[in-house]
Amino acid sequence: MIRVNNLHDIPWREGLTVQDVLDHLKYSYALITVTLGDELVEPERYADTSVPDGCAMTVFHLAHGG
Amino acid sequence: MAPEKIDITINDKKVTVLEDSMLIKAVIGAGIALPTLCYHKDLTPNGTCRLCVCEIEIKGKKRLVTACNYPVRQEMTVWTSSERVQKHRKLLAQMYLGRWPNVPVIQDVARRCGVTDGAAFASDLTDPNPKACILCGHCVKACDEFIQERILDFAGRGILRHLTMPFGESDPHCIGCTSCAHVCPTGAIQIIDDTNHPVDPDMIRRHGMKVNAEMATLDKNQCCMREVGTANIVEVMDRYDLLPVHNYKFGQHPDTYKVDSQVLRKKYFTQNNPDACWFGCSMSCAKAVDGFELKTGPYKGHRVTVDGPEYETVGACTNMGCFDPDFIVEFNFYCDTYGIDIISAGTGMAFVMECFEAGVITTADTGGLELRFGACDEVLECIHQMSRGEGFGVEVGQGVRQLKEKWIREGRGDAQFIRDIGMEVKGLEYSEYVPKESLAQQAGYAMAVKGPQHDEAWLIFMDMVNNQIPSFEDKAEALYYFPLWRTWFGLHGLCKIVWNDVAPADNKKYAPQQAAKIPEHVDNYFKFFEGMTGEKLDEEKMLAQSARVHNLQRLMSVLFGFGTRAEDTPPYRSLGPVTEEEYLSRAERYDGQLRSVLGLDPEKMTLDEKRATLRTHRESQYQKVMDAAYARRGWSQNGIPTKARLRELGIDLPELLALAAD
Ligand code: SF4
Ligand code: SF4
Ligand code: FES
Repeated sequence: MIRVNNLHDIPWREGLTVQDVLDHLKYSYALITVTLGDELVEPERYADTSVPDGCAMTVFHLAHGG
Repeated sequence: MAPEKIDITINDKKVTVLEDSMLIKAVIGAGIALPTLCYHKDLTPNGTCRLCVCEIEIKGKKRLVTACNYPVRQEMTVWTSSERVQKHRKLLAQMYLGRWPNVPVIQDVARRCGVTDGAAFASDLTDPNPKACILCGHCVKACDEFIQERILDFAGRGILRHLTMPFGESDPHCIGCTSCAHVCPTGAIQIIDDTNHPVDPDMIRRHGMKVNAEMATLDKNQCCMREVGTANIVEVMDRYDLLPVHNYKFGQHPDTYKVDSQVLRKKYFTQNNPDACWFGCSMSCAKAVDGFELKTGPYKGHRVTVDGPEYETVGACTNMGCFDPDFIVEFNFYCDTYGIDIISAGTGMAFVMECFEAGVITTADTGGLELRFGACDEVLECIHQMSRGEGFGVEVGQGVRQLKEKWIREGRGDAQFIRDIGMEVKGLEYSEYVPKESLAQQAGYAMAVKGPQHDEAWLIFMDMVNNQIPSFEDKAEALYYFPLWRTWFGLHGLCKIVWNDVAPADNKKYAPQQAAKIPEHVDNYFKFFEGMTGEKLDEEKMLAQSARVHNLQRLMSVLFGFGTRAEDTPPYRSLGPVTEEEYLSRAERYDGQLRSVLGLDPEKMTLDEKRATLRTHRESQYQKVMDAAYARRGWSQNGIPTKARLRELGIDLPELLALAAD
């Protein structure tokens, strides 16, 4: 299981990537910052960065508009 | 699709770069300096000076390329200073020095190429002016790319090439933004007057240019404000379940794709920056539709220009269940023409529609109009009536609060239901975001001095999506900082849009609490202030400036009978699901909350019990967030600024103390 934004628990599976998690949560926003633990993940690495089991992932959305 | 990272070799060293990025970035990134004249990091390269040449080899083929506009490729080997390169650069440097012998940037670049004498290339063209134009083109591109004007360009060919304005005359369309002068490396363009006489115009300019550069380079991959303006968030709000649909019952609709920003871009928008709301703004987010043929009303058949639609216009229409883009543009036009606020009209009409569908009102009240969700023609007819002061339109024009009170007074339907779904606070209609899942935003809306407009606080992502302000104290802090920060823009007549509708590429380096403030952009505004007035500003001073005005505004609201806890309390539709249909549409979410937050088993509860329990819980949460926010703001538990707070802010005038709480 991994926890996203200390809010969503997502079942872990072998090979789960950052992109899979974003797709699962339908996070498709332009101003997103992803961290795995304390590590920042750059957008060009979303598809090939695996998310370890038990990992705390944050997906920070920088508000615009409003 | 994000670009791939690839390895290339520069001067025998391996470096990793993004495929298709320009070679000059890789070279600079590897710590190697190249001589350049026409390259500017924030402008599109055009490879004219040819000083940045490097020798490359791909698949055994060697050649010279200009690094500033040559994209890196797999298996590329680069030499930045081979014999061939040096020879090429030297010749160029001699030619440049021959033509502009006294221009410091030319002298500097020549020195770096090992050239100190250009006499061999001296000619009739030689210009001894140390501030001569060297034809680098920065100014032409800055005018176009920073602020989307095309005032400057080159004319003439070869040796006759020179910089000019159209027809060689001073162009009245030049807005004096000074971008061209800022990027000019020689001083050929100079600023001769600074209107308003700021204390430090350069400070203002330096920070303004940062905004320009971000707009030119980042916006196309971020919010696309230049391309589609605020409408860019129509599809974003739909995806995050925040786009109001059917009087805020829902946050999404399968037909949103018919009215999203791509439809507006492809089929409607024909103009950028029609408002010219901020002269020389490099974002120019305002859009317009030209030649739109009206189908109704007094201008039926006319082709008109429509200023918009903005996000709020589209949101107001989806809230009415209207997903026809032609309708949206027509509604936009007539609201503007009649002087009707689009948000109030849309939210008001959405309330009327829900009341119509629930049987609170009938065609006997509406003069025969079937005002169901999605009734585009009827909405337009109602707006026309409103403008003529006739029929049901007059009644709708009174706004949601008056309608609620009237229909409750007349004993129509369930009073509680009417109160719950009438989306207004302090008599103002809600703007177009669904705040149901964000406690902080519920308060951001309902506690806003003027009523539920989002320009005091837009906290939905921080709260609901990022979960970065989980405690009541965290929310109260956000409800303290952001309304004051946003009030500050208004105080100084500065637009808020370039604060957070584009973000610096490295804003990610900050932890979320700081990142949400966009520290570098806050600093831009502080520097605008300092450059203008000479007074240094920091967060504490900014908050104090704003708090004086915000508290004064609140006291005015108290004076008019709106600045109280009761008036800060929103209709339940803002906090949670009012109807069965609404609960069931997100049953998984609401059942989940009953289970995880309240420890209940929704399987054992009836739908009515679940709705009632959720309501009690959400209403009590809202009361707690108000308590925390009032305490943080130095207001009484009735929401009135205290005398102590007024003293602290230095606004303890007798008239104000008379309104303040003990
Ligand atoms: S001042 Fe601005 S608008 Fe005028 S020419 Fe320079 S860049 Fe263009
Ligand atoms: S005026 Fe300045 S910026 Fe423009 S082409 Fe000449 S040298 Fe370059
Ligand atoms: S800097 Fe590359 S061609 Fe001028």
